[in-house]
Amino acid sequence: MVVNDLVTTMSAQGLPASGRVGSGAWALAEGVGGDIVVEAGAVARLLVTDSEGAVDINIDMERGSRLDLLHVVNHHSATSMAVALAEGCECRMTQVVVSPSDTRVVASLMERGARFELGGVFVLTDEDQASITADVNHVASDCTSRTRVKGVASGKSHGSFSGLVYVAPDAQRTDSEQSSRNITIGEAHIETLPQLEIYADDVKCSHGATVGQMDSDAILYMRQRGLSLADAKRLQIDGFVQDVVLHSAIEGVEETLSALLDEKLNRL
Amino acid sequence: MEKDTKDILSELQTGDYKYGFVTDIETETIGRGLSEDVIRLISEKKGEPEWMLERRLKAYRHWLTLEHPNWAHLDIPEIDFQDVIYYAAPKQKKQLNSMDEVDPELKRTFDKLGIPLEEQMALAGVAVDAVMDSVSVKTTFRDTLAEKGIIFCSISEAIKEHPELIKKYLGSVVPYTDNFYAALNAAVFSDGSFCYIPKGVRCPMELSTYFRINAEGTGQFERTLIVADEGSYVSYLEGCTAPRRDENQLHAAVVEIVVEKDADVKYSTVQNWYPGDKDGKGGIYNFVTKRGICREGAHLSWTQVETGSAITWKYPSCVLQGDNSSGEFYSVAMTNNFQQADTGTKMIHIGKNTRSRIVSKGISAGRSQNAYRGLVRVAKGADNARNYSQCDSLLIGDKCGAHTFPVIDSYNPSAVLEHEATTSKISEDQLFYCNQRGISTEDAVGLIVNGYAREVLAKLPMEFAVEAQKLLSLSLEGSVG
Amino acid sequence: MLKVENLHASIGDKQILKGINLTVKAGEVHAIMGPNGSGKSTLASVLAGSEKFTVTEGSVEFEGENLLDLNIEERSRKGLFLGFQYPVEIPGVTMANFMKLAVNEQRKSRGLEPLTAGEYLRMMKEKSAIVELDSKLTARAVNEGFSGGEKKKNEIFQMAMLEPKLAILDETDSGLDIDALRIVATGVTRLKTPENATVVITHYQRLLDYIVPDYVHVLYKGRIIYTGDKSLALKLEKEGYDWLINDYKEE
Repeated sequence: MVVNDLVTTMSAQGLPASGRVGSGAWALAEGVGGDIVVEAGAVARLLVTDSEGAVDINIDMERGSRLDLLHVVNHHSATSMAVALAEGCECRMTQVVVSPSDTRVVASLMERGARFELGGVFVLTDEDQASITADVNHVASDCTSRTRVKGVASGKSHGSFSGLVYVAPDAQRTDSEQSSRNITIGEAHIETLPQLEIYADDVKCSHGATVGQMDSDAILYMRQRGLSLADAKRLQIDGFVQDVVLHSAIEGVEETLSALLDEKLNRL
Repeated sequence: MEKDTKDILSELQTGDYKYGFVTDIETETIGRGLSEDVIRLISEKKGEPEWMLERRLKAYRHWLTLEHPNWAHLDIPEIDFQDVIYYAAPKQKKQLNSMDEVDPELKRTFDKLGIPLEEQMALAGVAVDAVMDSVSVKTTFRDTLAEKGIIFCSISEAIKEHPELIKKYLGSVVPYTDNFYAALNAAVFSDGSFCYIPKGVRCPMELSTYFRINAEGTGQFERTLIVADEGSYVSYLEGCTAPRRDENQLHAAVVEIVVEKDADVKYSTVQNWYPGDKDGKGGIYNFVTKRGICREGAHLSWTQVETGSAITWKYPSCVLQGDNSSGEFYSVAMTNNFQQADTGTKMIHIGKNTRSRIVSKGISAGRSQNAYRGLVRVAKGADNARNYSQCDSLLIGDKCGAHTFPVIDSYNPSAVLEHEATTSKISEDQLFYCNQRGISTEDAVGLIVNGYAREVLAKLPMEFAVEAQKLLSLSLEGSVG
Repeated sequence: MLKVENLHASIGDKQILKGINLTVKAGEVHAIMGPNGSGKSTLASVLAGSEKFTVTEGSVEFEGENLLDLNIEERSRKGLFLGFQYPVEIPGVTMANFMKLAVNEQRKSRGLEPLTAGEYLRMMKEKSAIVELDSKLTARAVNEGFSGGEKKKNEIFQMAMLEPKLAILDETDSGLDIDALRIVATGVTRLKTPENATVVITHYQRLLDYIVPDYVHVLYKGRIIYTGDKSLALKLEKEGYDWLINDYKEE
């Protein structure tokens, strides 16, 4: 249902498995892996959805290409994605995880001037267990990366984020930020490992991680203005995850993503 | 402070590892290698009771089942544990009764190290237990401390004279099963310091242990146990140096701290073991397990300045067991040339309303590798736990590495945990600004590095802070192109 | 004191200074004005010895010596002071320690004994009064968390501490409110003696109400295209640079 909505919104062409893609919107068949090449200079949009089971996807971005990738995880699945970026490439990846799963991304900035951005969110309830792993390798100089993953875990769920920013010896003028922000509710367990491994000196690298609860002052404020406790909490969580939905540069998908998250958030 | 800046400058020109001398003193050693017989021999030499020997053997047997840890971001050459001398002691003919009877050569060594072992100590207000190779040489000020009921002596003495305390506390924070080096230490430790502060007593002076490896081919395995009883306070300092030798020497210490209800312990270390030469030859392998347990309302603060050792593997930790207890870790770790450091802390929140704070400042120069590794864990019952961590890295030159491996693990939804890290280098603009004011590049780097580490240095007792500042500048020697 | 002849300097492949000629004598005040990007700040940086720029041609003589042979700190110790347009922050390094080192390094290079702690404290107190610098600021890290006005006052305070022969003040007036401007300018004026000289780089005439220049130079496209007296600044304020630049284009 979700997949069909997204395919329609994006007016994406089906991509059965491995292949080359040029400019346009594409949807990789559910739960199918393969090797995808984004042609030089192309501006492509790609929808990746999962089904139960494990898949590997390799994406090679040729010079100057741009890829907006939307990855929706709503099955019990394990997805491993590797993206290699050539000179001047830009990859913007949005990950929405609402089911027990294991998601791994390895982005390698192979040539100068490449940019990788990941905006991810996991929302877990009951006894869900999910992890997002994001490793960014700055192999070449003058590349930029942004990794921002948010987590909401309630019930007896377990969410984990593991991120590594690796900066190779000659990858000077690397600009990298990594953040992991989490809210825990109930008896949930959150684990976060934001890691930096840096071998070059002229770099701007920072990371931050937080684990916390909702802002009680903000909730008080909202209740004073007449909102119920439940509404106030919900509003705050909505705000917390909203920017990941907006992270995707693919037009029109916000509604579907919001609906997907809403459905899950209702079960918190 | 100003005077010291100037000293640093003059020393920077000629600076070298100034503690690299060897004391010409008769040493009693046993042969290289490790076996049950060697452990029996160590225990016998120390005149230990049977129960202590049994503990050692148990630890040894467990150690034999373990493999060398390799999870750290370190390149550790294979260590031949049969090629280490596990016991070396300055020979002394009889029991010492007064300061005058200490071997003059030994006294000169400690003078060179700048440890006042004599009455001037009264002025400095520091009581020192100096551990040379494996044996605790002399504990000053015992009588003054005894009046308050404070016990400060070598651990061997404590085993004989305070067996009830040792039986109760030794291995209670770091059991021999904890890790490879903790097991090795529990089997072969030869000396170290023991300190007990009774209920409600505020220790009137800073207590200090100075560790020195002198003899060739030896390993040093000291064991420190500090027990701060309810409502007491102590500030404890630890310094370390070793001669310059081409071979690598092993140092595997264990420090255990028990902070009882409402007690407060401050533990400061300036670690300056020989780091090896500029080509990475020689130096100390420093594998240390340090941990404290805090009961209700207790507070433990670790401050460390790490400039020495070829390899450092060290994570002073706090187990915040009691409600309302708190732990702190302040660290400056500097590596130059081929040094490697993997250091950080663990804050284990178990009690309710527990607080912890981590400030780590790594400085990498030359071809060194410097990693922060930390764990903040909040157990299920630790309601309202709070942690703030700040881990910064400063890179000097483009051949070194700076790494950050924090783990945040929360099982309690009321926890608020924050971690921030930045990586920077000394900017051209900062150097230009200093240069324009007439300050040379080398001085400017020393100034900037000390400024970068200031938050941590400020946590050190004054005399240590001055020494630490000098060390930071000295350790940078040759790192500025 | 300072003699700049045909100075050319570049950054990377880009030529910025294209033949500067400037002579400054003891006791004089020079103002350098000009539109954005004309090379004013570059000139200041090059005179201070910044390694970002390469001098490709020309000579600079300072107090009878070839300035270009000296590195940045040697120039400073000889008495050349640059008041930065954007003073950099140096976290953790207190102003007091920083200036003490700078003052004593200068003294050392002149064969003088370092100041005692007492002498130094007196000096700091006296000099910080000149620019009405809050004495608390000297206990803080260099420029860290200083407001724009505090940063600029701090530059003049350092100038007072180092007593330079030649002070080059790069847009010291930018970002100052009228009170701070008055304090900074009065500070500079009070430090003026017949033995030293000041070069003020500025966009605005208002600073020159306080610091009255003997000469006003207009820098444009890497060259000094016009030199006049203080009335030039007023004219520039009123009429802008176009009339000069147009002239220059016609040449």
